[in-house]
Amino acid sequence: MTTHLPSINRSHRGWFRRDWRLYAMLVLPVAFYLIFCYKPMIGVIIAFQNYNRFKGMWGSEWVEFENFRFIMGMSDFKFALRNTLWLNFLGLVAGFPVPIVLAIMLNEMKSVGLKKLSQTLLYLPHFLSWIIIGGMVLQIFSPKTGLINATLLKWGLIDKSIPFLTKGPQWQATYTVVGVWQGMGWGTILYLSAITGINPELFEAAKIDGANKMQQIWHVTLPGIRPTIVVLLILSVGQMMNISFDRPQILGNPQVLKYCDVLSTFVYRTGIQNHRFDRATAIGLFQSVVGLILITGANFVSKRLGEDGIW
Amino acid sequence: MKKTLSILLALALMLGLATAAIAEDDWITLRVECFDREIVGLDVTDCWQLHYAQEHFGDPNHIKLEFVSFARWTEPELLDNALSADTAPDLCMTYDGNLVQQCIDQEGIWQLDELLEQYGPNLKAFLGEELLPYGQSDHDGDGTPEQWYIPARRISRANVGNFIREDWLTALGMEKPTTIDEFTAYLRAAKEAQLGGENTVPFSFGIYAPDPLFNVRRFTDAWVDFSQVTEEDWFANARTPEMLPGAKEGFRWLNTLYHEGLIPETFALTDNDQANDTALIMGYNGFFSQQPDQPWRTDKNYQVEMANNVPGAHWVTVNPFQNDSLGGKHLHDMYAPAGLSIIIPKTADEATAVAAMKYLDWMAIPENMFALQNGTEGINYEGLTEDGIPYGVKSADDVPNENKMHAGDICFISNGLCYGDDEKNAAALALPFKGYEADVIASYADSLSDAWTQISFPVAVQAETDYGATVKSKQGEFLAAVVSCDPEEFDEVFDAAIQETLDAGAAEMIEGFRAAYQEGNYRGTFPGNM
Repeated sequence: MTTHLPSINRSHRGWFRRDWRLYAMLVLPVAFYLIFCYKPMIGVIIAFQNYNRFKGMWGSEWVEFENFRFIMGMSDFKFALRNTLWLNFLGLVAGFPVPIVLAIMLNEMKSVGLKKLSQTLLYLPHFLSWIIIGGMVLQIFSPKTGLINATLLKWGLIDKSIPFLTKGPQWQATYTVVGVWQGMGWGTILYLSAITGINPELFEAAKIDGANKMQQIWHVTLPGIRPTIVVLLILSVGQMMNISFDRPQILGNPQVLKYCDVLSTFVYRTGIQNHRFDRATAIGLFQSVVGLILITGANFVSKRLGEDGIW
Repeated sequence: MKKTLSILLALALMLGLATAAIAEDDWITLRVECFDREIVGLDVTDCWQLHYAQEHFGDPNHIKLEFVSFARWTEPELLDNALSADTAPDLCMTYDGNLVQQCIDQEGIWQLDELLEQYGPNLKAFLGEELLPYGQSDHDGDGTPEQWYIPARRISRANVGNFIREDWLTALGMEKPTTIDEFTAYLRAAKEAQLGGENTVPFSFGIYAPDPLFNVRRFTDAWVDFSQVTEEDWFANARTPEMLPGAKEGFRWLNTLYHEGLIPETFALTDNDQANDTALIMGYNGFFSQQPDQPWRTDKNYQVEMANNVPGAHWVTVNPFQNDSLGGKHLHDMYAPAGLSIIIPKTADEATAVAAMKYLDWMAIPENMFALQNGTEGINYEGLTEDGIPYGVKSADDVPNENKMHAGDICFISNGLCYGDDEKNAAALALPFKGYEADVIASYADSLSDAWTQISFPVAVQAETDYGATVKSKQGEFLAAVVSCDPEEFDEVFDAAIQETLDAGAAEMIEGFRAAYQEGNYRGTFPGNM
């Protein structure tokens, strides 16, 4: 006779009855992913078709890898591919450590008011549209009339404008710096919450052992947020092939086309403006496959190094 | 089709006679595309013109009209999405010839010959024998072209407007330049004298990213050596004017201007339109080139706004770009007589397609066209001249919301205001610009002198479909490079940039256009024949 003992009903209906509210909450996100992320994936088949917009993806003619061959044969594809990887790499190298440093600095701030104020100011650029930032960039970095060049010229520190926007490498530097500035505040959020998760006893113990601020940061804070850093790094590596459309499109200009043309702007031109959805899809599929390889690779390396990885 | 139609009609008639009670049910809905230019206070899906058309065309024919708005500057992308999703309006229009060609190839739009024959007598009369062939192509390959789209009639074909500051000429004691040398001397003198203050940039110049050479060939064509250009070369280089013999020297001239500080240093930066507009209005510039009525347009009134800032400042037309190999002709390109393309997608059923054609035909009747284009006397304009042309046309701000309209977009079979004959139409161009009528007339006269019709091809040139957008982006890079490069390296930079454009697909395009020319599939003018 065991029925008198309180027992956990492990049958399927039992836990469902107990937790149904949690499952109900899960329905919406799952439905979102199914409808907006998985169902549209069927559409990748048009990458292998000569897509006829009236016959749809089930009635169009199959052309195997013709779209891929065409795209890879285009002269500006290699520039777009190179720039995508290079600009993302620059962004990663320059932009990845900044939120970590910022988060630690914010965390060490004694005055709550000042901390909140700095956080708000740092988040602000994240909410600005790239159109607005593009306008600001022109005002600040333009040759001759831009704030920086105009000031330096007036003071006689330079006699020719610095080509922030009009020469390739300089443009890429401007692009990276503006991106870091725009994203750094927002990037601190995850690290700040990770820091809050560190056991305060560790800091107390370190203090008792005589560790100064820098030593506390180095031996307690950083190891405490290491899993977060690793996960975010792996995710960033997985995004190396993806690049937003608005940032390069708005900051770029014809004078630096070879340095600012990236896969997203290339897709817009060859796929959308030329009304060839099949080619646009082919590039998208190519990006996704490479992204998948990169993220799997990064995850594998991370696990080999003894870290947790993302799965 | 004719047979089905007549059966349908007979059935409809019988049903109508037999059961007058269900008359309510024979209404059909006709969804019509219209452009949205974001005019403040104007809801294009509920505008005065819609109500007018509903009352005078829809109600008597039992057709419920609906306007579907597409943002003007992204219409090709929006229309393509709608076509692909089977949600396109029943009557569509676009300026994107490539999209129309793909619709023909993919057999997703109605062939219009019979519909036009049966329901479009007024439309046929309005467009005439010259226009209709623009919408025809031989899709089935039987040797006779079929009508696939309705081309709109362009009322004014003028495209080029070059403007100079008359007050600057007076200040410099110069005559209006008639040659490039005189013009260059004017630019230099204006810079020297700082006529626009310390921000003086005599030549307002920027890159029009969607088609970088469209507004530049009007200058560089002056250097083209027509003794070396055959008619075939001319058409083969339809989209690559920088490759014509001699054009290089035109770009060298622009390079010189740039290095002398006569062109804005920021000319290649995108989103620079705003800065260029401001410079024009503040009176910093001594020359600019856009459309022939640009200085007086109500949305960007460079003339009035500039004169507010700089009293006495005055834009007048100028025509200095003579071509010596054509005996000093001042070439201007002008639009083909056909404007935007009107199509009926097959998502519209037969009855709706008939209704669409009837609507176009109704639009072509002069009194309907007049109402749709001009609105109401006393509200949209003050009155009529002896010729029946409205005067005292109000700007959108001065018209109550329920009467606001965009004259050109709703009556889309006519690109531009139409008053019956060419003479009246020309006179009407100047009427909205009170106080500047003589300037406007002079500008159009310059624009249409020695004018050649822009090139088009009645067949799909596959290379253009594949590489057109890429080549245009290359041309932007080309223009930025050759204008701004070190004058010492000009030849090297120019040749390298040309080669890159060729490699990016221009070579295939030139070949494709050449083949089309050899098959007789081309339209436009060769200036060598003028």
